[in-house]
Amino acid sequence: MERWTRREDERLLTGKGRYVADIHVPGCLDAAFVRSKVAHGSLRSVDCAAARDVPGVVGAWSAADLPDLPPVPYTLLARLSTEEAVAGREWPALVKDRVRYPGEALAVVLGEDRYRAEDGAAEVTAVVDPLPAVVTPSAALDDSVRLFDGLSNTALRGEAGAPIDPAVWQDAAAVVEATYRQQLLMPSPMECRTILAVPEGDRLTVWSGHQMPHRLRRELAALLGWSADRIRVVVPDTGGAFGSKSAAFPEFVVVAYLAVTLGRPVRWIEDRLESMLVATRGRGQDQTVRLAADAEGRLLAYELTINADVGAYPHLGVGLPMQTAWMAPGAYTTPHVHATLRSVLTNTMVTYPYRGAGRPEAAIAIERTMDLLARRLGVDPIELRRRNFIPPDAFPYDTPTGRRYDSGNYAAALDLALETVGYTEWRAEQARRRSDPDALPLGIGVSCYVERSGGEPGGLHEFGSLEVHEDGTVTARCGAAPSGQGHETVFPALVAKTLGIPEAQVRLVEGDTDEQPEGLGSFASRSAQVDGAMFQQTAGLLIEQARERAARLWDLPVDKVAWADGSVHTTSGDSAVLGLAELVKATGPLRVESRYEAGMAFPFGAHVAVTEVDPDLGTVNVLRLVAVDDCGVVLNPTVVHGQAYGSAVQGIGQALYEGMTFDADGVPHLASGFLDYLLPTYTEIPPIEIKDTCTPSPSTPLGAKGAGESGCIGTPAAIVNAVADALRIADPDLLQMPLTPDSVWRAARAPKHEEGVR
Amino acid sequence: MKITLTVNGTAHALDVEPRRLLADVLRDDLGLTGTHLGCEHGICGACSVLMDGEAVRACLVLAVQCDGRSIRTVEGLAGPDGEPHPLQRAFSAEHALQCGFCTPGFLMVAAGALDADPDLADKPDAIEGVVGSNICRCTGYEPIRRAIARAAREKRETTA
Repeated sequence: MERWTRREDERLLTGKGRYVADIHVPGCLDAAFVRSKVAHGSLRSVDCAAARDVPGVVGAWSAADLPDLPPVPYTLLARLSTEEAVAGREWPALVKDRVRYPGEALAVVLGEDRYRAEDGAAEVTAVVDPLPAVVTPSAALDDSVRLFDGLSNTALRGEAGAPIDPAVWQDAAAVVEATYRQQLLMPSPMECRTILAVPEGDRLTVWSGHQMPHRLRRELAALLGWSADRIRVVVPDTGGAFGSKSAAFPEFVVVAYLAVTLGRPVRWIEDRLESMLVATRGRGQDQTVRLAADAEGRLLAYELTINADVGAYPHLGVGLPMQTAWMAPGAYTTPHVHATLRSVLTNTMVTYPYRGAGRPEAAIAIERTMDLLARRLGVDPIELRRRNFIPPDAFPYDTPTGRRYDSGNYAAALDLALETVGYTEWRAEQARRRSDPDALPLGIGVSCYVERSGGEPGGLHEFGSLEVHEDGTVTARCGAAPSGQGHETVFPALVAKTLGIPEAQVRLVEGDTDEQPEGLGSFASRSAQVDGAMFQQTAGLLIEQARERAARLWDLPVDKVAWADGSVHTTSGDSAVLGLAELVKATGPLRVESRYEAGMAFPFGAHVAVTEVDPDLGTVNVLRLVAVDDCGVVLNPTVVHGQAYGSAVQGIGQALYEGMTFDADGVPHLASGFLDYLLPTYTEIPPIEIKDTCTPSPSTPLGAKGAGESGCIGTPAAIVNAVADALRIADPDLLQMPLTPDSVWRAARAPKHEEGVR
Repeated sequence: MKITLTVNGTAHALDVEPRRLLADVLRDDLGLTGTHLGCEHGICGACSVLMDGEAVRACLVLAVQCDGRSIRTVEGLAGPDGEPHPLQRAFSAEHALQCGFCTPGFLMVAAGALDADPDLADKPDAIEGVVGSNICRCTGYEPIRRAIARAAREKRETTA
């Protein structure tokens, strides 16, 4: 095993990985969906007759052909939605009478392979009468175009914190205001969505690249009217997820329903074109902010107003903007914070968690506004932050928005980031360039973020077990389902360390609802924080059971039996020692089940970007990016740093390159796929340095907080602040992500702020 | 249409529809599922394989265009005794993969570059060009660059 850094590596590097599309099931049918070309319209008719005559096509159906097809299930998990938001706004798995987002499925064709299925799909005809489309919350808010007749587009209103007394603003020495657009992003895992449904007897086995197999099992069982034990969900290798693979999507409903109805294996392997059109989006908020400070730069009040784009159906993610509201205060002791939001339906595919999921929107808003305030006050943005950080001795800290931060040392992370980047030297270089008319302007931007990891109350637990075999090996099981996080390496190492046995003796089984009857899954950066703490606790329970068994065997009180290095022994110093294998042979099978509930954790960090801007070309050249993250106790630095690096690059993507754009009819500009939606490639990667500080979480004995979303949360504001600093723009609204050459060129021509003028 | 496809040294006589992509024939007809489809429009490079030693996107090549050609896929990277290719070892050592979906494509474009240029280790720009030709959403690329450079150095040392 030493040859490979991770246990996952050997199979993934030799072509032996097994993703859903790699699984060969004889007689399996491929599904292809016929998709709406318009964003919004009334469906008049769908004709599948010609498709059914295509060679190799097994069947073709519209909603009218499948009256019993269940709708898409919604979840109230983690307050992602509410009954009130969902009421009267059913999401049909195939369009019944109204198209509400471009690409919404009008019909499905099953073929002997994907080629045949697409041949059939090409023969399906549909008549849709177009309606005006609204693709931003601002456009949808006034209800002049309604997605559901008789119902407002505003599906949910929420708030965190209390309204701020107008006197606070009037009496403040400085008040700054801004509007920010958090653009719609595509999570874009390299493997698109997948599902393979195989009926066997009275059961259904579902293979899916998925983050929450038990939720998928529960939702599929409910929509089929089955008991959950009749469904087995298996998650094989999964090619990335980033939050986007945890639901039962419309296509999943259709595939499971048809597999059961026909009694045949059916699969849907989403292609990239479909994914870009109809996979869930992330972010999507129009924000306005107001921040007040006294003359010494102490923050007095912060107000965040959010109009969130939740897409065409409120089932999923309608409550996601609450994450932004709850995290609005960021790292500061602002006494009054009030965040309000409206979740607004638009003619786009639904908004859903994407790496960061509500926290980037909060961090970007406050961190951009801190720089704005620093410019207004004429103080260094670093100094302004230092004056307002929640101090290390103030934890646990209750924010005005109802969060209780567990632990933190924000100044330490910022200090390390500044030292690493060489802050003083860069400020000197900036000054030099400002006096040199030929030099390109240079800017330095910081972003000090706090995020929340693990999940929300009610979803902070995980299930697992440890089973000892007669050869002394241990099988660890849990409800998680990874998509690149290295669980097979990290969890066995943790269990082995806790038990004091060699790592090679422990093996992990996960992502299979038959192996592990209950589970939550992999989301909210919970691998180490929740699953790790669960395994640590379970290993402790195993040790206790082993001691009790040995005590009975040796006829001793339990306190005369101790555990060390994978063995029980007596404390009296005689020669009685039993290893795990001998203990199981002597006393029978040993399996410990557990359910562990962690508290919420609040990772944090400081990111610093140095950028050079060409005002004539509008290009942004990131010269340096330093990311200091604190996720408490780190189980595997290689894995955590790898995630931090990749996450930072996704953060660069949001800042500079990625974003959905639409034509006047609400159809996304995607004709050229990844040439229209620009994911960062190696060419766009600046020198990045990842460092960390360690402030353990007091909410679990393990002390780990969530890792992996840090870059998406911390990096974008650092880059935007650096560009604003380089251009010295007076109006922050001119810089909206992504900072394309066009937008930067325009911003470079706008009036500049004057140093030190309040 | 009848074609002969030599894949990882083994000749296969196949009867394929002219429209079928090389990637689909490799995966579905030959069961070589190590070649992954990431975008199917030639951008991401996850499906990259070597055709007569040159990297191609298997989603942009029809199988019939490969008649009589020699194809190398990720399954053919390891030595005949199963010894991992230097790139495979270097990718693991540098943690150049997370979910692993794009990995076979990166391995194959890098393998093509290594075979074509024994002095690749001395050409950082060329290595960067190789890394820049494909998309990875997990790693942020730098570990992939380090892995290719490491394998290139190792290869030069063993052949010097």
